[in-house]
Amino acid sequence: MTVAIAPLEAPRSRILRLAAAGVTPVLAVVLAIIVGGFVVLASGSNPITAYQQMLVGAVGSPFDISETFISSIPLILAAYAVSFAFRCGLFNIGAEGQLYMGAIASTWVATTLSDWPGLPLIIACIVAAMAAGGAWAGIAGWLKAKTGAHEVITTMMLSYVAIDISHWLLEAGPMTPANAFGTPESGPIPPTAAFPVIVPSWILPNARLNASLFLTILAGLVFAWILWRTPLGYEIRAVGFNAKAAAYGGINVARRLVIAMVIAGAFAGLAGMVPVWTQMRLYDSFSPGYGYEAIAVALVGKNSAIGIFLAGLLYGAMIHGSVAMQANANISGFLVQILQALVLFFVGAEMLIRWMLKRGGLRAIAEASA
Amino acid sequence: MDLVNLFVTVFTRPDLWAGTLRFAAPLTLAALGGVISERSGVVNIAMEGMMLVGAFFAVLVAAATHDIVLATLASVVCGGLIATFHGVASIHLRANQIVSGMAINLLALGLTSFLMFRFYATSGTPSDIPALPDINIPVVNSIPFVGAVIGDQNIIVWVAILAVPATWFFLFRTRLGLRIRAVGEHPRAADTLGVSVFQIRYLCVILSGLLSGLGGAYLALSVAHSFSDNMTSGAGFIALAAMIFGKWHPVGAFLACLLFGFGQSLGINLQGTGFPDQLVAATPYVLTVVALAGFVGRATAPAADGVPYEVGE
Amino acid sequence: MAVAASVLFGACSSAATTAPSVAAPASVAAPASVAPASVPASAAAPASQAAVTSPGASASASCATPDPTLAIGLVTDVGGLNDKSFNHLAYLGLQQAQCQLGATVDVIQSSEQSQYVPNLTTFAQKGDKLVIAVGFLMANAVYTVAKQYPDVKFAAIDTAPADAKGNTVNLPNVANLFFHEQESGYLVGYMAGLMEKGKVGAATSGTISYMGGLAIPPVDRYIAGYIAGAKAADPGIKILGGYSQSFTDQTIGKSIGLNHISRGSTILFQVAGSSGLGYLQAAVDKKVFGIGVDADQNYVAPATIITSAIKKVDVAVFLTIQAVKDGTYKGGDNEFSLQNNATGFAPPNSAVPADIVSQVQAVADQIKSGAIVPPTTIPK
Repeated sequence: MTVAIAPLEAPRSRILRLAAAGVTPVLAVVLAIIVGGFVVLASGSNPITAYQQMLVGAVGSPFDISETFISSIPLILAAYAVSFAFRCGLFNIGAEGQLYMGAIASTWVATTLSDWPGLPLIIACIVAAMAAGGAWAGIAGWLKAKTGAHEVITTMMLSYVAIDISHWLLEAGPMTPANAFGTPESGPIPPTAAFPVIVPSWILPNARLNASLFLTILAGLVFAWILWRTPLGYEIRAVGFNAKAAAYGGINVARRLVIAMVIAGAFAGLAGMVPVWTQMRLYDSFSPGYGYEAIAVALVGKNSAIGIFLAGLLYGAMIHGSVAMQANANISGFLVQILQALVLFFVGAEMLIRWMLKRGGLRAIAEASA
Repeated sequence: MDLVNLFVTVFTRPDLWAGTLRFAAPLTLAALGGVISERSGVVNIAMEGMMLVGAFFAVLVAAATHDIVLATLASVVCGGLIATFHGVASIHLRANQIVSGMAINLLALGLTSFLMFRFYATSGTPSDIPALPDINIPVVNSIPFVGAVIGDQNIIVWVAILAVPATWFFLFRTRLGLRIRAVGEHPRAADTLGVSVFQIRYLCVILSGLLSGLGGAYLALSVAHSFSDNMTSGAGFIALAAMIFGKWHPVGAFLACLLFGFGQSLGINLQGTGFPDQLVAATPYVLTVVALAGFVGRATAPAADGVPYEVGE
Repeated sequence: MAVAASVLFGACSSAATTAPSVAAPASVAAPASVAPASVPASAAAPASQAAVTSPGASASASCATPDPTLAIGLVTDVGGLNDKSFNHLAYLGLQQAQCQLGATVDVIQSSEQSQYVPNLTTFAQKGDKLVIAVGFLMANAVYTVAKQYPDVKFAAIDTAPADAKGNTVNLPNVANLFFHEQESGYLVGYMAGLMEKGKVGAATSGTISYMGGLAIPPVDRYIAGYIAGAKAADPGIKILGGYSQSFTDQTIGKSIGLNHISRGSTILFQVAGSSGLGYLQAAVDKKVFGIGVDADQNYVAPATIITSAIKKVDVAVFLTIQAVKDGTYKGGDNEFSLQNNATGFAPPNSAVPADIVSQVQAVADQIKSGAIVPPTTIPK
């Protein structure tokens, strides 16, 4: 099946295009909020209170802003994994498994090399996460290049395998030191390997937001740089746009497929490492489905570095904001998932939004965002 | 336990094969729906969501009416309704069909969990709802090995099995089927010959919803006899993989579902035999990848799959 | 995908529909008889009908007036309120406290593990009198937040605070609620063994089975007891076992059940939440026996479910809230076992003959006296 992605860009009116590209997702969010409001109303609650609580809960205090970022980071990184593959015409539906492999590898390094000094240790863990995620995704890429095996099937299957492997490692023992309750968890990540907290304690004591935020921003920059500033990225995008034409143009499609998957997997590996580092330990079933939610984030972010970052923040805000909604306004947290779905749906229904823009006399924006 | 002995014990166990059919049934229904939809050119990754919605409404209506026929009908219709949303988004609004499909999956999950909580809080769905009956075939049942495998399977298992040749016949031996395939490969050509691309696509998307909904009804009314959050647990995605594995062909998709069902059943039967249970659970997935890479190879979707059709351009 | 969800609290919705359970707190104090755990609403009116109305309107005259100073917060783990296991039971205990003690209650369903700390913090910051954490995954989170808020009381179900290194640290403001699930497992296993030995009803094969969700301690303790109890009743009994690797996938649960039945099992014990309900369905379909877990699951199929292994999380939660109200709250380990009637077996259905029930009751007394100590780990 064809995966529709943005075409290779002409340099003309780049700024206008970028600005206009942001209009449709914003309008989509607005539409989603409106429709979501009706759902809240139908369930007997007050939409104004609901959204107010969600907003305050997401960004109303330094604690909340910090936690919103923490909720967003794994989604953003995993979305880069999904998106990078999309750029090569590949549907990386198995980012979940790749992030598990990254989590396992980085934890293993941290607990095994625990007497290393801080900076080399954390770098080793990051490299291990990226390598493990990249290798796991690379298997799917290689299988596609070699045998034509469709990546939807292979990445999905490998994802389940990775999760089963993690269960085995943590429950049947190889990665679990004996502990008081026999809990399926790894040994602790040594404090020397922790990301430094970046929020000064005079703003927020006991803050949890750490340098993984910078890592994520760096990941976004690398994402954009590879795709838009390197020959490799150009070729990857060419393959994504039209693999046959790319092959005619002399590009080694098979190689590009594999490399694209490996790089995508590396992003996913990081997405696995960060939540483990938040808890300073690898627990059984630690991921709530980041790799799966990341598909929505990647699509809402339109496969662009900035778009994904913002979309990830939006979803993270919805997730953390829902906590206040539940605690203070007695409103069902399932609403969040419905909202997330609505945002995705309206982002996809671009035609609808463009039609609305045209009707509203904003033809130029409508056309520029096409 | 030596390997040969193990092999013989496990493979001669009728439940291994009976289990294969039980697992494959819902997957087959959803996968066949996917085949029909994608053959007409509409990418459909929303099987998971449609199955989940079908499951929920099957239980809801079963609890309210205590009528199994109405409940099954409700699940089928609801699956079709959800599919209609996907259709409108994909066909008329020309949305990115992956986006629309994913949105439906997320929406279905949130909505069913929300409604589940609304109607049944934490007490769970009532247990006195009717079930889809098993079909006990007296003569077959007494045949030594075969009887244990197929003599007492659920009615939906039979429906799923029969749906395979039915779908094949529908797609490859009827005029409508030809039109569907034409619309999926060369919509422009089909249009110029007077075939309504939109109508055909709507029909196929809705059909896929009906089939997925039925698969959900099976899970809720036969297997689990209840509804719980996210009870499909990825079955719709496995069906998607099976559809691609089967190269968008009904028989191929069915074989893929059987392979996967076999893998799951084998995994269950290998529990407690000395291999770690968690790794044994990965059997179906490993089996699928190996079979795909080793024997099946490249799969090509219908040419116009995923490309929204623009009338008169 | 686990999703954060909230609860619309109507007045006493659970009390209205679960008549026997209102008496439960009183009967826990009374020794001797094994009282049933709170039973989830029967096939009659769903509990949530009342829940949908706005909070504050008191539907039933028998509930206490709400006391805003007794604010209680419950943070579930990622299993969610519909897990048919400890999150669910904790919530039931919470509802009982709301009705009987007038507590004002809130629930946050954690959607991911990294949310445990902020969720607990949210309730602590709000000034709740008691914050309840559910599950062993929260050990470190409870430690972190309890240390930051020494004036807020916490209750940790199935776990104790653990520092970053993993060492258990008892804190004065955290009550560790531990349950002896192995006792309940032992008793139902003993009953299963006696049923098979006596060839009662469908239990004629000499083979029984169990299915866990994941191989984690709260699950394995039940199973360890079950195996030991069955073997004590009938040393020659054959026991099959498996794990579904899921607490939600009912298809796998049922398939494992059918598999075990095809290999001869006639009594199926589930320890797998919703997935386990699929396991029990297999017993229903093939007309053999099943045993439920955590709460009395007889309602699933009255003729099939002969008993359930009980873990009165709801009662423990209620008692802890009551202790906070009465000022008798104690931090540190709080053990819940047969000694305080928090574990045991649900009243068996009519398929179990009276003499078997009394034999199992006698074993329960032996466990209480310390003569029998059920194991907590499964023999390899």
